[in-house]
Amino acid sequence: MHHLSLFCPAGSKLAIVGPNGAGKSTLLRALAGQLRPLTGRIDGLAGQRVAYLPQTPQIDRSFPVTVQDMVQYGLWHQSGALGRWTSAQRQRCLEALASVGLQGFERRTIDTLSGGQFQRALFARLILQDADLLLLDEPFAAVDEGTTLDLLQLLERWRAAGKTVLVVLHDLSLVRRHFAHTLLLAREPIAFGATAAVLTPANLRRAMNMREAFDEAAPWCEAEAEPAAHGLDAHGHEHVHAHGHGHGHEVHGPGRSAQPPRPQVQAAPAGAAGVH
Amino acid sequence: MKRRIFGQGLVAGLGLAGVGGAAWATATPAALPVVASFSILGDLVQQVGGERVQLTQLIGPDSDAHVFQPRPAHARLVGQARLVFSNGLGFEGWMPRLLQSANFRGQHVVLSRGIEPLRNPGHGHRHAHGHGHGHDHGEHDPHAWQNVAHVRVYVRNIADALCAADAAGCDFYRQRAQAYDAVLAQLDAEIRAAWAPIEVAQRRVIVAHDAFAYYGQAYNVRFMAARGVIADSEPTARGIARLVQQIREERIRALFVENVTDPRLIEQIGRETGLRPAGRLYSDALSAPGGTAPTYVEMLRHNTQALTRAVAGI
Amino acid sequence: MAALAWLEPLWAYSFMQRALLGCVLLSLSAAPVGVFLMLRRMSLTGDAMAHAILPGAAVGFLISGLSLGAMTLGGIVAGLVVAVASGLVARSTVLREDTSLAAFYLLSLALGVLIISTYGSQVDLLHVLFGTVLALDDAALALLLGITLITLLAMRLLYRALVLECLDPDFLRAHSPRWSALAHYGFLVLVVINLVAGFHALGTLMAVAIMVLPAAAARFWVRRIGSLLWLAPALALLCCVAGLLLSYHADWPTSPAIVIALGALWLLSMILGRFGVWRQRSVSAVHLKG
Repeated sequence: MHHLSLFCPAGSKLAIVGPNGAGKSTLLRALAGQLRPLTGRIDGLAGQRVAYLPQTPQIDRSFPVTVQDMVQYGLWHQSGALGRWTSAQRQRCLEALASVGLQGFERRTIDTLSGGQFQRALFARLILQDADLLLLDEPFAAVDEGTTLDLLQLLERWRAAGKTVLVVLHDLSLVRRHFAHTLLLAREPIAFGATAAVLTPANLRRAMNMREAFDEAAPWCEAEAEPAAHGLDAHGHEHVHAHGHGHGHEVHGPGRSAQPPRPQVQAAPAGAAGVH
Repeated sequence: MKRRIFGQGLVAGLGLAGVGGAAWATATPAALPVVASFSILGDLVQQVGGERVQLTQLIGPDSDAHVFQPRPAHARLVGQARLVFSNGLGFEGWMPRLLQSANFRGQHVVLSRGIEPLRNPGHGHRHAHGHGHGHDHGEHDPHAWQNVAHVRVYVRNIADALCAADAAGCDFYRQRAQAYDAVLAQLDAEIRAAWAPIEVAQRRVIVAHDAFAYYGQAYNVRFMAARGVIADSEPTARGIARLVQQIREERIRALFVENVTDPRLIEQIGRETGLRPAGRLYSDALSAPGGTAPTYVEMLRHNTQALTRAVAGI
Repeated sequence: MAALAWLEPLWAYSFMQRALLGCVLLSLSAAPVGVFLMLRRMSLTGDAMAHAILPGAAVGFLISGLSLGAMTLGGIVAGLVVAVASGLVARSTVLREDTSLAAFYLLSLALGVLIISTYGSQVDLLHVLFGTVLALDDAALALLLGITLITLLAMRLLYRALVLECLDPDFLRAHSPRWSALAHYGFLVLVVINLVAGFHALGTLMAVAIMVLPAAAARFWVRRIGSLLWLAPALALLCCVAGLLLSYHADWPTSPAIVIALGALWLLSMILGRFGVWRQRSVSAVHLKG
């Protein structure tokens, strides 16, 4: 994706939506450090703990560990590879499990969990990771409604605690009900800001018309100079700031046709609800 | 004398490298190309054939015939030969296929024809895990060359075959065979004389594998093996324990490793019983030209000397 | 007592004592490695490795003649090269470990055959290299002891990283690429040294069997990785003792006897074990309350 320039303050929750192939997962992976931007840069992540939950985690569900064993690894940032788990750490793990509704499941092996329970366990691990930035890619894809609502409450608690949460979702009704801010992405940002303003039929139509994912012959856009990066805003909050061209699209090709119109990227949300 | 050793050295070198031979200086231009399967037979054939034959060996000295795998170079050698000499009695299981693939049109001479073979102890072989062997032990023990009397038959067979293939040199072959036969007769007498002062009851020896049954039969010596007739078959705990018991009870003093097998098992038995291996015996192959047993006669002589000294407690 | 008399051969002969000691050491060392091997779906590595070490042994032979030490060392080097190369390919390309290992071991074996053919030795190197449990001399026991100590220490250090490497490799790589690589390659090194030391001391059959079969059997009795890691060596040792006694009382060759004991235990476990076929059939699928 390309031409993306946005920042999110601490203590915010952002939904990222868009059609298939829009670059949503790519964005998260870039923020997680797995991909490097071809041009542009990502600021504000130094010294921050980032937790990334991919869409299909490559977790071996048949591996013989208990739920507690798996979730306990969320505290790797404290103990590393060699330290023993202290009883205080074990207690925190049990509390995390309780807060996702899995109390009593500690000694169960992970192959006995249903999809929803496993996802809750992964969220418990996220709790323990105690990250400042959380990147969740379709976390409710195979999960029942009850679990989804519980986990959404957890997201809200994280936001209130000052974490930054970016969630890729495909269920727009969920986004409308639970997320105040949304980024509509279709390789390039279509709209960004208050959810109601972003998810308009016009915007959605434009997103659906994204050709680039399907059409190799679609016109590419040119690279250009990017606005300067922002650091801290007036409130002294740290920002996560990503801009520039993401992975996948580069500069000119020969004989390209007219460029598409430059998107209107808001540096700050137009809506009344500020992003803090 | 020097020429013969030189010839043998060359032959051994060819066997080692496994490549076909150009004619060597020792052989006359009209030399009869012949192939022997392994080093012991090679020596015998060379004794009878002299410079009228151009000999190559498939399996060289200090090599384990049990794990031989023929290669294209061998097939080429065999294809060019007029005579192929093998032991028979199941020793060269790979021979029929090799002859066929080499399109061999000459005469295949099985040297053990005419002797009375011994049965394989524990008929039905045991195979070690792992690599396929081109060698199958059937019902007979193939190590007939350990009995000098048998080798005299071998030599006669060699002479007959050479005569049939090369009538012009027949007198030459017969003469050499006769001379060598006399040497063998003397060797046989020597061996008997060496054992004579030792009581029969004392003549017990522990060896790595069951290769000396014919020697034992001929000269009245009892050999006990850690493994069976195949050099690499698996030992059993009971078998080893039995040997150890026997050594202790019968006060056997003679323990030997061999030149082609892993010595560790014999050493283990030695550790258990306080015996040190008394030396090494040559069972299935001659030594390299500079070694202690580069010819058949020297091999038997060396073995006998080592055996008698160990048994007598020297 | 009759039972004790039956066990007597184990301490009556020093070669049996050594065999038992060798089995203890290899069980402690190879069986836990085998647990991870099984969980990473690499159980056939043993057989591949037996062939892959050939060029190393061949070079050792060329340099030092029939020296077991040189050939074993050469074998370890060749095995490490193959293991690390296939691990590298598996981590950085689309190929997984089974294919990359197969490719490298075939290359290695062919190279070994080429070396041997060119230098024309008729001694079957691998036969000389592979030992038997009844012939453990001091050098072999020392080698086994060394390997066991190294393995136990490495497993202690790498345990957590190794579990995570198997369970969720992306998570580990995100947190600590260094431990990720250490666990991945360190494990391969452990596999190779255990196998080659096992070949040298006990032959291919036993070395591979002690690595693979106890882990497979243990899987039918316990469910946690920690439990697997102590049960597998215990089962291995039990079957070694059984095999040694069988070899004595029934006059069977020793390595096959031990491996048959291991295999029989595995079959029994598969049928009768807590998570085996029979017990699992009578447990209806329990739906957990969500």
